[in-house]
Amino acid sequence: MASSTGLSLKFSPLSTSFKQNKVLLRGICNVNSVSLPSRGMRLGSLRLRVSCAAKPETVDKVCSIVRKQLALPKDSPVTGESKFSALGADSLDTVEIVMGLEEEFGISVEEESAQHILTVQDAADLIEKLVEQKSA
Amino acid sequence: MALKFNPITYQSHKLPSFALPPMASLRSPKFFMASTLRSGSKEVDNLKKPFMPPREVHVQVTHSMPPQNIEIFKSLEDWAENNILTYLKPVEKCWQPHDFLPDPTSDGFYEQVKELRERAKEIPDDYFVVLVGDMITEEALPTYQTMLNTLDGVCDETGASLTSWAIWTRAWTAEENRHGDLLNKYLYLSGRVDMRQIEKTIQYLIGSGMDPRTENNPYLGFIYTSFQERATFISHGNTARLAKELGDIKLAQICGNIASDEKRHETAYTKIVEKLFEIDPDGTVLAFADMMRKKISMPAHLMYDGQDDNLFDNFSAVAQRLGVYTARDYADILEFLVNKWKVTEITGLSAEGRKAQDYVCGLASRIRRLEERAQGRAKQAPKVPFSWIFDREVHL
Repeated sequence: MASSTGLSLKFSPLSTSFKQNKVLLRGICNVNSVSLPSRGMRLGSLRLRVSCAAKPETVDKVCSIVRKQLALPKDSPVTGESKFSALGADSLDTVEIVMGLEEEFGISVEEESAQHILTVQDAADLIEKLVEQKSA
Repeated sequence: MALKFNPITYQSHKLPSFALPPMASLRSPKFFMASTLRSGSKEVDNLKKPFMPPREVHVQVTHSMPPQNIEIFKSLEDWAENNILTYLKPVEKCWQPHDFLPDPTSDGFYEQVKELRERAKEIPDDYFVVLVGDMITEEALPTYQTMLNTLDGVCDETGASLTSWAIWTRAWTAEENRHGDLLNKYLYLSGRVDMRQIEKTIQYLIGSGMDPRTENNPYLGFIYTSFQERATFISHGNTARLAKELGDIKLAQICGNIASDEKRHETAYTKIVEKLFEIDPDGTVLAFADMMRKKISMPAHLMYDGQDDNLFDNFSAVAQRLGVYTARDYADILEFLVNKWKVTEITGLSAEGRKAQDYVCGLASRIRRLEERAQGRAKQAPKVPFSWIFDREVHL
C-alpha cells in the first residue's frame, strides 16, 4: 500500500488545513479520518475507498490528458471526482484517454479494469496500481 | 493494449466496454425506455425464460426530424424518379437464384448437386460461419423494409403507394430478397451447415427487429443505409474473393453478384444524401455526425440461436479475423463517405455544424489509430462452438 496521503488538493476550503496536517496524515491512506465536525465517515463526495487514493501528481497528469483529449477550455473544472461522461467524453474519447494514459505512464490497461474507470480518480488509482505492479 | 476497439460490435446489446452511464441518463425523460438487457445478468442464468433473445439497450427515440422537413422529401419526388429509380434494375434484366443453383428440372441435377457439395467440402468451417452470418443478415429483410417504412416523408403509406420513395423501397426490397433466397438454397444444398439452427436464428432475428437509431428521420436513415450498403458490398466482395481462393468459383460468382447489387444500392443511397447536403448542408452534416457518434450498428446485432448469448460478437470476431469485414473497413467506409459527400469542403455551417464537420472528418483516422494499437496487442483468441456448424469450434 502506498504511503501517500492521497490528498486531492481540489478540496480547496480544506486544502490549507490539509497541507498543515499532511505530516500527521502521512501513512494514513484514507482522508476520511480528517476531523470534519460531525461529518461522519464521508468527506463531501469522496467515496470510501478500500485501496489508497492516487498521488495528486498522478491525478493532475490524468486531468491534463483528459483536458487535451476533450479539448476543454482552460477554466472548465476537471478534478479527481470528474466523471468522464459528464465532461463530454463519448466511448471513443474514453478509449483514447486510456490509450493516452498507457503511453504517458508506460502501462497496459486490461479491458476488464478499464470498464471500472468512471472518474479521473479511478483512472489515477488504476495507473498507480499498475505502475507499482510493473516495478514490483 | 488489450482493449479491443471493435466498432462493429460497439453498438451491440452489451453496454460498451468502457463504463458509460446507460444512454437513458443522457436523454430527456420524454423518450421512452428501451427494453432491458436480456440474460446478461448472472442471477437469472438458471431461470432462463423460454424467449430470451437480446434486445436494444438504448432509449428508442422517435420522430426527431422537424415535421416541416417532410416537405423537402415531397418536393424531391420528381428528382428521385429521375435520379434514384434509375438505379433499379428492371426485373426482366435481373439475375435470379435459379441461375446459380443446380437445376431440378435438368437431367444433370444430381451431378450438379454432388459437385456443389464436393466444392463445399473444401471450404473450412470459419468461412461457413461468416457466410451463414451474412445469409442470416440478408434473410432478416422484413426488418429492413420496415425500417425504411418508418422514415417520415419517404415511407410507403399504403404498401402500394406510388411515390418515388415508395417505389424505390419496394423494388429495393425485391432485389434484396433474392440475396437471402440464393444463399439459403446454397447453404441448404451444401450439407455443411445445420440448417435448422440457422432457420431458428433467422426466426429469432426477425422477431427481434432492430433499431438503427434513425429516429424516423430520413436524413439519419439514408446516411445509415449508405453506410450499410457499402459495408455489405465490401463484405460480400470479400466472401467472393475468399470463395475463389478456396476453389469454389460458383460460390464466388454468387457472392460477387450479390456484392454488385449492393454497390448499385450504395450508389443510389449516397446520391440521396448528396442531394440532402446540397439542399440542407447544416442539417445533413449534423445528421452525419449524429449517426457516427451513435455508431453504425450492424443489422443483425441482435442475432440469437437459442444458446449463444454472444452470437453476434462471436460471428463478427470471425468475420474480422478472416478479413471479411473489419474495423479497418468501418474506418474506410467512413472516409469514403466523407470524400464522396465532400464534407471537408462544406462552408456556411453553423457553429454546431462546424463541430459536426470536424468530428466526422477526423473520425476515420482516430478509429484507424485505435485499431492499429489493438492489433499490435492482440492476444491469441479462443475457439468457440457455433451451433450453425453443429457446435464445431472455430477461432475468434
